[in-house]
Amino acid sequence: MIREIAKYLLQFIVLILAQLLIFNNIEFSGFINPYIYVLFVLLLPFNTPAFVLLMSSFTMGLIIDLFMGTPGVHSSATLLMAFSRPYVMALFSPREGYQTGTFPRLTQFGIEWFVKYTVTLVLLHHFALFYLEVFTLHHFFGTFFRALLSSVLTSAMIIFSQFFIFRR
Amino acid sequence: MRNLLRFILQHHFLILFLLIESFSLFLLFSTNPYQRVRFYNASHKISGRFSTRIENIKDYFSLYSDNRKLSEENARLYNRLKSSYNIVTADTVYAGDSLSPRNYLYLTARVINNSVNKQYNFITLNKGRVSGIRPDMAVISSDGIVGIVKKVSSNYAAVLSLLNRDFIISAKIKKNGYFGPLSWKGNSAERATLVDIPHHVQVNEGDTIVTSGFGGVFPEGYLIGTIEHFRFKGGNYYEITVKLSSNFRKLNYVQVIQNYAKQEIDSIENSVNQ
Repeated sequence: MIREIAKYLLQFIVLILAQLLIFNNIEFSGFINPYIYVLFVLLLPFNTPAFVLLMSSFTMGLIIDLFMGTPGVHSSATLLMAFSRPYVMALFSPREGYQTGTFPRLTQFGIEWFVKYTVTLVLLHHFALFYLEVFTLHHFFGTFFRALLSSVLTSAMIIFSQFFIFRR
Repeated sequence: MRNLLRFILQHHFLILFLLIESFSLFLLFSTNPYQRVRFYNASHKISGRFSTRIENIKDYFSLYSDNRKLSEENARLYNRLKSSYNIVTADTVYAGDSLSPRNYLYLTARVINNSVNKQYNFITLNKGRVSGIRPDMAVISSDGIVGIVKKVSSNYAAVLSLLNRDFIISAKIKKNGYFGPLSWKGNSAERATLVDIPHHVQVNEGDTIVTSGFGGVFPEGYLIGTIEHFRFKGGNYYEITVKLSSNFRKLNYVQVIQNYAKQEIDSIENSVNQ
């Protein structure tokens, strides 16, 4: 149990550092930015207590906010994503349900499930993030396009990373 | 009471979500531009040291282009030295600036945190009050204008980037002197918008846009960019898209300009307004 907590804590820190040091410096054509820190929310175990799920996601977003100087933007988007996680999971649940002892991983549920799961949550997070940041519907399609392209990039990076981190 | 407790227990996931979400939305919506700068400054008390370290590493990657820029700038300044002028007649004396009091003072600073992909971008400099930086000073790079200092702590300064929707500056067309407000619309890190130029003015693509010097923050005649395209808006005025000359993605060393006359200008303008 302690080992599990330490593992997720380490993941938390590594993802924040990776986001701030590496991924914030990637700017494809200026406005498309991957936010891979959401991987933390995706990988939390199925039986994470609601309190822990929401609080850890909120803390993650708040730390990113602190470093990027955007009060409340990342924290509210990440929190929304954490809140919808159980519903998205129920939506894509396999026929026999999620068995105990399994984790939301590409290696355990296959690529199709993981892609659907990741893309849905990342889209939700990014659209909330980009529209909250702009906080206007003025450039609706400009923002829409940016959010969409960034989602594609983030999802691709997350799915790609799974092949390296969790091997069978 | 028991029913209420049971209700809370049953829906604790939703209730907890709503509580925290409203807190973070409160953070988001209760911040006006001024508070946003304060948040940025407060967060930099925590992250400033960290950002400095990252920037120290990233510095190495831009050594080549920085050196080239510095040597170009050196060359430009050498050209203005006394020794670069051929003084032909015996009664010509190079006076320099010594006759008139100093108007502008330039300080060099390094960018330790910067972004271009948000709607309200800020830049952090590695110098603050201790080094003589004060709010409302202009910030330029060797390519063009960058922003205005908004808040200073003792060792860091938060700069309102030109790429911020709260940024506005008086700009003019260099060749004919017509001026108007220039601001950033938030859609591209390379372009800003100049408005309020009356439609009878002759405007061409490629014309140079410089600072007008009004407001006393920026000195007059600093390069902002060139006209990319223009169209009529509302019939009587142009809406001009300006291609910015500064590359905000590669900012590294910048100059902070103090205007010694600003206080006097402000006080006389205020005395008229009252």
